[in-house]
Amino acid sequence: MVSLEKTAPQQANDRAKIEIKNLNFYYGESKALKNISLQLPERSVTAFIGPSGCGKSTLLRVLNRIYELYPKQRAEGEVLVDGQNILDRNQDLNLLRTKVGMVFQKPTPFPMSIYENISFGIKLYENLNKSDMDERVEAALRRAALWNEVKDKLNASGLSLSGGQQQRLCIARTVAVKPEIILLDEPASALDPLSTAKIEELIDELRADYTIVIVTHNMQQAARVSRQTAFMYLGELVEFDETAKIFTSPQEKRTQDYVTGRFG
Amino acid sequence: MSSIYPRRKATNGIMMVLCVVAAAIGLAWLALILGALLYNGVAGLNVAVFTEMTPPPGEAGGLLNAIVGSLVITVIAVIIGTPIGIMAGTYMAEYGRFSKLTTAVRFINDILLSAPSIIVGLFVYELIVRPMGHFSAIAGAFALAVLVIPVVVRTTEDMLNLVPNALREAGTAIGAPRWIVIRSVAYRAALSGIVTGILLAIARISGETAPLLFTALNNQFWSSDLNAPMASLPVTIFQFALSPYEEWQQLAWTGALIITLTVLGLSIFARSLTGRKG
Amino acid sequence: MTLAMAEQRVDARRDKAVKRFALTDAVFAGISRAAAILVLLILSGVAISLVVGSWQALSTFGFSFLTTESWNPVTEKFGALAPIYGTVVTSAIAILIAVPIGIGIAIFLTELCPRPLRRPIGIAVELLAGIPSIIYGIWGLFVFAPFVQTTIQPFVINLFKDVPGLSSLFAGPPYGIGMLTSAMILAIMVLPFVTSITKDVFDTVPAVLKESAYGIGCTTWEVIRRIVIPYTRVGIMGGIMLGLGRALGETMAVTFVIGNAHRISPSLFAPGTTISATIANEFTEADGELYTSSLIALGLILFFITLIILAIARYMLMRIGRKAGA
Repeated sequence: MVSLEKTAPQQANDRAKIEIKNLNFYYGESKALKNISLQLPERSVTAFIGPSGCGKSTLLRVLNRIYELYPKQRAEGEVLVDGQNILDRNQDLNLLRTKVGMVFQKPTPFPMSIYENISFGIKLYENLNKSDMDERVEAALRRAALWNEVKDKLNASGLSLSGGQQQRLCIARTVAVKPEIILLDEPASALDPLSTAKIEELIDELRADYTIVIVTHNMQQAARVSRQTAFMYLGELVEFDETAKIFTSPQEKRTQDYVTGRFG
Repeated sequence: MSSIYPRRKATNGIMMVLCVVAAAIGLAWLALILGALLYNGVAGLNVAVFTEMTPPPGEAGGLLNAIVGSLVITVIAVIIGTPIGIMAGTYMAEYGRFSKLTTAVRFINDILLSAPSIIVGLFVYELIVRPMGHFSAIAGAFALAVLVIPVVVRTTEDMLNLVPNALREAGTAIGAPRWIVIRSVAYRAALSGIVTGILLAIARISGETAPLLFTALNNQFWSSDLNAPMASLPVTIFQFALSPYEEWQQLAWTGALIITLTVLGLSIFARSLTGRKG
Repeated sequence: MTLAMAEQRVDARRDKAVKRFALTDAVFAGISRAAAILVLLILSGVAISLVVGSWQALSTFGFSFLTTESWNPVTEKFGALAPIYGTVVTSAIAILIAVPIGIGIAIFLTELCPRPLRRPIGIAVELLAGIPSIIYGIWGLFVFAPFVQTTIQPFVINLFKDVPGLSSLFAGPPYGIGMLTSAMILAIMVLPFVTSITKDVFDTVPAVLKESAYGIGCTTWEVIRRIVIPYTRVGIMGGIMLGLGRALGETMAVTFVIGNAHRISPSLFAPGTTISATIANEFTEADGELYTSSLIALGLILFFITLIILAIARYMLMRIGRKAGA
């Protein structure tokens, strides 16, 4: 068990955007997250790393409560976003998810045109006229560094794009609804190195405006894109610190073993 | 070994020949039926079939009222049955994917899928015809709707289950409520499959005779009254084929050909939509 | 200042959208759930309406309804034995004919057929499974029955006339229509069904399993006999039961050629009747509550027989499905 005091990064100036307190998570009877506590600072990139099955994706999926799609999955404890407990029963899930966007491992363009892929999410909560909507779609696509590649074929199917483009479309779709937090679940693991580099570049650009949480099993990627890193193992949070510290002088032996490639 | 092997090989040879013979017999038999249908049906195919009413015994005529009746009853059946089937399939694949109700509905639906259609006719007779006191087109449409539902339920559930969960999660993650994810993402992804299901359902009911015998009954004349008996192609074929009049028998063959071509056309079109395996 | 106001307006709109979504989502979920329950209600509705409709007949005749052969609208004495007998016998013979041929075609399609022909023949078989039964009926009446009458029946009657047992089973006169003709039409109808299901379950056998059997020197037949069929036995049985269910409930193909005679004759060439043919032939002409009620009671019996057969079939196919999925 790792206490909050010991592992919280010493970032006195950073406001905590997300505060996780004593979080437990269950798949039916089995416990997948054990008493997790940590604070994620605002407008900054945090990486969750650890071997497969360590609970890093599970933890990510608690932050927008996407696990609610499936029965028998439940979370206990507190997750405060801007001081509000999102695990509260009265929390509206749709509203939570407009605030906390998510990009998945495999690109998931909707079966509609590129334009509609972006406008779909906007239309849910905002009534825009055609020109405003056009502006928003363009802004989102520019934000995801995709505009120049697709501006001439906005009516083409989202599925006609390459894998890397599809993933950037998904990022554009996510930023289009103006979230404050973006969750990235191994966003580059299904992509080639070139597309991966583009995604990482993009994350770098987005971090000024969004609180970003990324799950990755690629340690170099974590080292490249994140400011702080949480190492998880068997459902426990082993260590949470500045990324540089995690990779150069970790406090825990298990962290050291993992980042130096001795297991995992 | 040397003494056993020739025998094994001979057994193999005999069995394989038997399989080829079985295939030849089975396929030839089916070809014979289609051949006879084509031969006898085409003989009576002319414009009058589509422009004239069913004739009295011993006179020439067409099948117009029967064809139109079939279309009307089929369309109403599809309008009633399809939404129910799609919604039930949606419940099973989306809202209730893990519930006990879904398991029960799937089992019952599979039984309905192959239940004798004449039983469905009796059910609708008890439910609608007897309380209303007379046969009617709408009762026939209800009977066929009961046959449409299980086909649509089955394909809708299957096709929605093929939609990757990642797509649903992506829709949900953007803040869309469940029903919009289903409507705008899942239905769109499964569209061709669901349409296939509807087409197969139409193919199934367009040749059904038994459930219409004592619901829509038959009508020698033109009728657009849904509250009255209405002619349909299958029931007309049944009546004409069993009659002693040659003109009627000829019309029965021609009607049978029309139905078969419709059903085959619908099934082939439905298959080409999804590119489903053989 | 204006920015804050704009933001407030967006927030208000979001709240409204959220409330609307909560409602519409609940409505949509409710409708879909209701539709699913409706499917359950339809089947129970079928059962209830049949029980209600047949009540008069069942309470008048009691258990003897099942054991009486007589079917007399004039004296209003009704018994279901002849149609039950006809239904069971025609279906049983149909399955006996269709199953070996169907399995043979499935083996031919999966093991022997030249590759380019596999798909077209497979598709053809599946398409034939969708042809309405009235087509088979009209062919049976106009083409097959006369052929049976002039060719098969005289020959068989002659052949067995001196063999005890068989001579009464195949006793004349050659009508053409009758039990055996019906059974054969049913067999043709069920054939595409049995074939396509058998072919589907054959496809669930893992290729590795077959390859390792070939690897130790098995012949094609031995692989089928020792590996494929044992592996898929449950699925094949499910397919056969499904075919049987269809044969039992089939109406139109049989109604044309069964002869509609309410008696149990030892000869397979004699006219008979089945439950569904009786209902189809007599329902609209039945006058009198008891007559109608007796016909519905026949439907109830058919419903229960097919319900049991289909439940068994689905259970078996579910098991093979799980095996293939695992």
